[in-house]
This record gives sequence, C-alpha cells and structure tokens, in this order.
Amino acid sequence: MRKIERFSVLEYFVRSLFGILAIVLLSVIMLIAAIFLLSDQPLTSIASFFAGPFSSLYAIGNMIDHAVPLAIGAVGIALAMRSGNMNIGGEGQVYAGALVTTIVALALPGWGLTGILVALAASMLVSGSVATLSGWLRERWNVSDLITTFLLSNIIILVVDYMVAYPFVDPQTNLISTRFVDPSYHLLIILPPSQLNIALCIALVCVLVAHLFLYRSRTGFELRMVGDNEEFARYAGVDHRLYRILPMTLSGALYGLGGALAILGTYHATIKGFSAGMGWNALLVALIARFKPAAIIPAALFFAYIDAGARSAMFYSDVTYEIAYIVQAVIFFLISSSILQRIALGRRRV
Amino acid sequence: MIHTLTNLSVSAVTIMAPLLLAATGGLFTELSGMLNIALEGLMLVGAFASIAGVYFTDSILLGLLIGVVSSMLLSMILASVTLYLKANVFITGLAANLFASGITVILSFHLFGNRGVITFDTLKELPDLFTGFAQQMPLIAGYHVLTYLSVVLLVAAWVLLYRTRFGVRLRGVGFHEQALASLGLSPHRYRFAACVLSGLYAGLGGAALSLHLGSFVPNITAGRGWIALVAVFLGQRRPIGILLASFIFAFAEAFSNYAQGAWSVPSDFLLAIPYAISLFAIIFYSVFETRKKRIEYRKD
Repeated sequence: MRKIERFSVLEYFVRSLFGILAIVLLSVIMLIAAIFLLSDQPLTSIASFFAGPFSSLYAIGNMIDHAVPLAIGAVGIALAMRSGNMNIGGEGQVYAGALVTTIVALALPGWGLTGILVALAASMLVSGSVATLSGWLRERWNVSDLITTFLLSNIIILVVDYMVAYPFVDPQTNLISTRFVDPSYHLLIILPPSQLNIALCIALVCVLVAHLFLYRSRTGFELRMVGDNEEFARYAGVDHRLYRILPMTLSGALYGLGGALAILGTYHATIKGFSAGMGWNALLVALIARFKPAAIIPAALFFAYIDAGARSAMFYSDVTYEIAYIVQAVIFFLISSSILQRIALGRRRV
Repeated sequence: MIHTLTNLSVSAVTIMAPLLLAATGGLFTELSGMLNIALEGLMLVGAFASIAGVYFTDSILLGLLIGVVSSMLLSMILASVTLYLKANVFITGLAANLFASGITVILSFHLFGNRGVITFDTLKELPDLFTGFAQQMPLIAGYHVLTYLSVVLLVAAWVLLYRTRFGVRLRGVGFHEQALASLGLSPHRYRFAACVLSGLYAGLGGAALSLHLGSFVPNITAGRGWIALVAVFLGQRRPIGILLASFIFAFAEAFSNYAQGAWSVPSDFLLAIPYAISLFAIIFYSVFETRKKRIEYRKD
C-alpha cells in the first residue's frame, strides 16, 4: 500500500523553490568553470559578469527593461502550454508585432495616446492572427502546431526583414532600420537615465490578469482541465476545440504586444533583426517559471540578469556573449527532470 | 528548360545530402517514440567540430570522425538527461540547441579568435567521385563523397531498422513501450541507442554542410535540422518517404538559389521558399491523412 503523502502548500512551495535554486546554482558553477577555462583574466570576467548589471542605476534600469518583453511573451506561452498547445513561433510574432507598431506609429504621427493604443492593438491583432491560424490548423486538420508555428515564424522573419530593408527603410542611417517614430509615441521613462519605462507596469498587469484568469475564472479552469487531460475535459462537457485556438490567439497577441512595447518603450524604430532571440528567451522564461504566471516575474528578471551579465563581461573582459547560453542550456537540461523534482520534494515516488 | 531543370536537380542533390542525413537520424528517434528537436543543434556541433578537426589534423577522415563523435557526445548527454533524469524531451532538445549555438561560437572565438565566419585557405576539400562520368550521367555522377554516403547510409538505416532484431525492437519501443518491457527488454536502452544514432547521422549531416562549403558560419545550419524533422513527418516515417521529402526541400532551396541569380526578386522572399513549401506540404499531408481517417471511421 502506498501511503498518502501530505504536504502543506508552504512546504511544497519552499521545496520546489529550493529545487529550482539548486539547478540555477549548478548552472552558475558551470559558468564560472567555463570562464576559468576560456578567459585569460578569469577574475575580471567573473566580477564584470556578476557585478556589471548592478554597477549603476542606468545598468539596473536597462536590465529590468529587457525583462519586460520576455515576461509578456512568457505569460502568453504559459497560457498556451497550460492548455496543451505549443507555440514556438515567438521569434516571428515578436518581430511582426514590432514592425506593425512601427508602421502604425509612422502612419499616424502625433496621435499620442490614441495612436499608441491603436498601434498596440494592431500588433496584437496581427501576431494573434498568425498564432490563431496554427491553432485552427491543428483543431481542424490535426496539423502539428509545433511545426506550423515554427515554419510560419521563419517566413514572417524573412518578410519583416524585407519590409525593413526596402519599403520602410530609412535611407539616412547606416543601419538597416525604419525611420524613428515621433516622440509622442515614446512611452514614459520611469527611471532616467535608463530606458526603463511604463511598459513594466503593463507587464505586471499582464502577469496579474493571467494569474487571475487561470486560477479564478471558469474559462481558465476549463483551459487547465483541457491541458491536463483532454479526454476528461471532453467528458465533462468542456468545448475542448475552443481551447485549441483561444490560448494560441492569446499567446500570439502577447508576443506581438511584447514586440510592440519594445519598439515604443526602448528602440523607437524597427532595426533589422533587433528582436532576434526574444521569442526563444520568452519561451525559456516560461519554462523556468514552470508555466505559472506569478513565477514569471523572477524568472524574467533572472534571465535579463544573465543576459546583462554576459554583455558586461563581453564589454569589459575577453569572453564572448555566448557564455550566457551555457547557463541557459544547463538550466534547461535539468529544469524539467521529474527525478530531480522528486528529490527536491523529498518524495520517494510520485 | 530541360537544361535548367537538370542543373537544378544536380544542385538539389548536393543540397539534399546534409538534410537527408539529419532526417535519417531523426527517423531513428521518431520511430523509437522520441521527438528529437535537437537535430539542429547536433548538426551545428557536427559542422563546427568537423571543420575544426580537419583544420587541426589535416585529414578529412579524422575531421569527420571528430565531428561525428562530438555530435554523438551531445546526443548522449541529451539522451541520458531525458531518459534517466526523466526530463521533457522537448525542453532538453531546446537546451541542446541552445548549448550547440553557444559552444560553437565560444570555441570558434577561443580557437580561431573570430566569432564570425571562419575560412581556411589550406583546408582540404571533399573529394568528388566519378567526375569522369559526370557528362554522361549528369544526375548520378560527379558529387562529393558525402552525397553518396548519405544515400548509402539511408539504405543502411533501412536495413538496420527493418531487417535486424535490434531494429524491430527499436521500432517496438515507439509502437508499444509496455510490450517491449514485458519481454524483459529495457525501452530506455533502445531509445538511448536511437538518440546516439541520430547524433551520428545529424553530425555527419552538419559535416557535409560545412566541409562542402569549406567554412563555418555561426548558425550555419539555418533551420535545416527543423526542416529535417518536417521531412521525417512528411515522409511518413519511412526511409523512401524521407528521401523524397528531402529531395523536394532541397529542390526548393536550389530553385530559390537559382531564382536569386536569374530574376530580380528580393532574396528574403526566395529564402522563405523552403519554409513555405514545408508549410504547405505538412498542411496538405495532414488534411489528406485526417480525411482518410474520417472516411475510414465512417465506414466502420
């Protein structure tokens, strides 16, 4: 006979947090080992990696600013994953959202707040539609969403690259980039001199709303039910087909929003390839957070920290930016291991 | 017209080799019931390690060996973590891809002092075979050695999977895991073997890519591992289907290369052609399959 194991919520929380921290610690140890192997001045490299992101208010603000689109994209991924859907087309959806926002802002100069809202809505509409298409294809014809989101994303990236390089290019810069949007479209900076802006508040609202939606609404409950056990949900009378499409739409729209806010808050123009990596990184943030909206905030901040650390180490020392990938890869190798989770939770069997 | 078509087919066959090798690797894992999205990363490691190997050992054979062994090592890590630590294969696959794109750039910076393109003037070229016959048999003769090897290895994979006890058991794991376990065999062991085999094939695919080009560029695989995965699905998980699907993709890429030179269409659109063809192919295939199933369902 198996004993029924009792767990308090707090103990569960503390133990699973401990498990994740142990994995993170291991990845940091691997990073330090890699730096010692690769760098001629390992101590300088390590110092600039870990302390660099906190060296000034400017650095801290920019680090948090970089976490914003990741967090918003991760919220969408969490919704898609919790319902058993897969959207790995974030790269294209972020990039498309960014371009659409830029185009709207350039087309409607001086519209101010209304213009910002129109631009954000347009980007969410476009990116959301792309993801919806993948969801619909899976619902209707059982086409793997894993593959369609990926392929669509690659096509979109190339189309956006073309748009940025030809029809919308700004001939006056050396970069391949669109024109800059006018200052009435810039989001309010909340921590000058850094680029941190009110998009941060939008990200926090997204996390909060997603949390309430998942755990406090009927739709959210049904969404989780479909993700946990689709057969069961069908017998319970849940319209499981809706949950093949709705979460995809939401995840696409949120990716689009992330790209749009990066434009209005930080970059102010679509530069060719500026968002490369954002889509994947948001997916990875959602994975560290184990698809729980509340955990997305620390996960996104951690991710932005590693990113900023690698940039600072590259700038002040002799290692390349790609050492950040080592940390990320180690985490992702171990984060989903159910054996390690079991050890962390102190259970012999599950 | 005929001449252009022949030329396109010839370059398609060359382009096909890395894709076919990676897709055959994906076939092993797919049949054993693992979704292997790490093909991209395995190819990338194979591409880098083989070109670095050729540079340092000055021998094509040793270079290939180094490339294949490196990518097999990564596939072993992937398999161990996925199977013995019971991790999600999709997530560990992403990890392997991330690791591959990081480690190749780090090592290229560390060994060659360059994060971008590495080209060596002194690098040995892959030997072409049957060049003398290339005029008489334009579609069959005159390719480099790895192109022939890719087809030979596809046949080898077919023999291994369908004509040996090992292969039957490997497919058995994917078909019905408990059945195999009830015979006292370890499903994990066969999945592990499938994963290492996919590392071997994908690594060779990566090597075919970089050694043919004679240089290494970060992200040289540019989505080919993913396309290989699509080819496995599209080829209905059968060797002959995979060959066909790989050729279609390679032909699309050859066409986009040709069109880039011949017409003044923006290159971005042409680069999208292989992805678009993959997309339409997978959609048509799924529509066809779903309809067939629905009709069968109605008959019952």
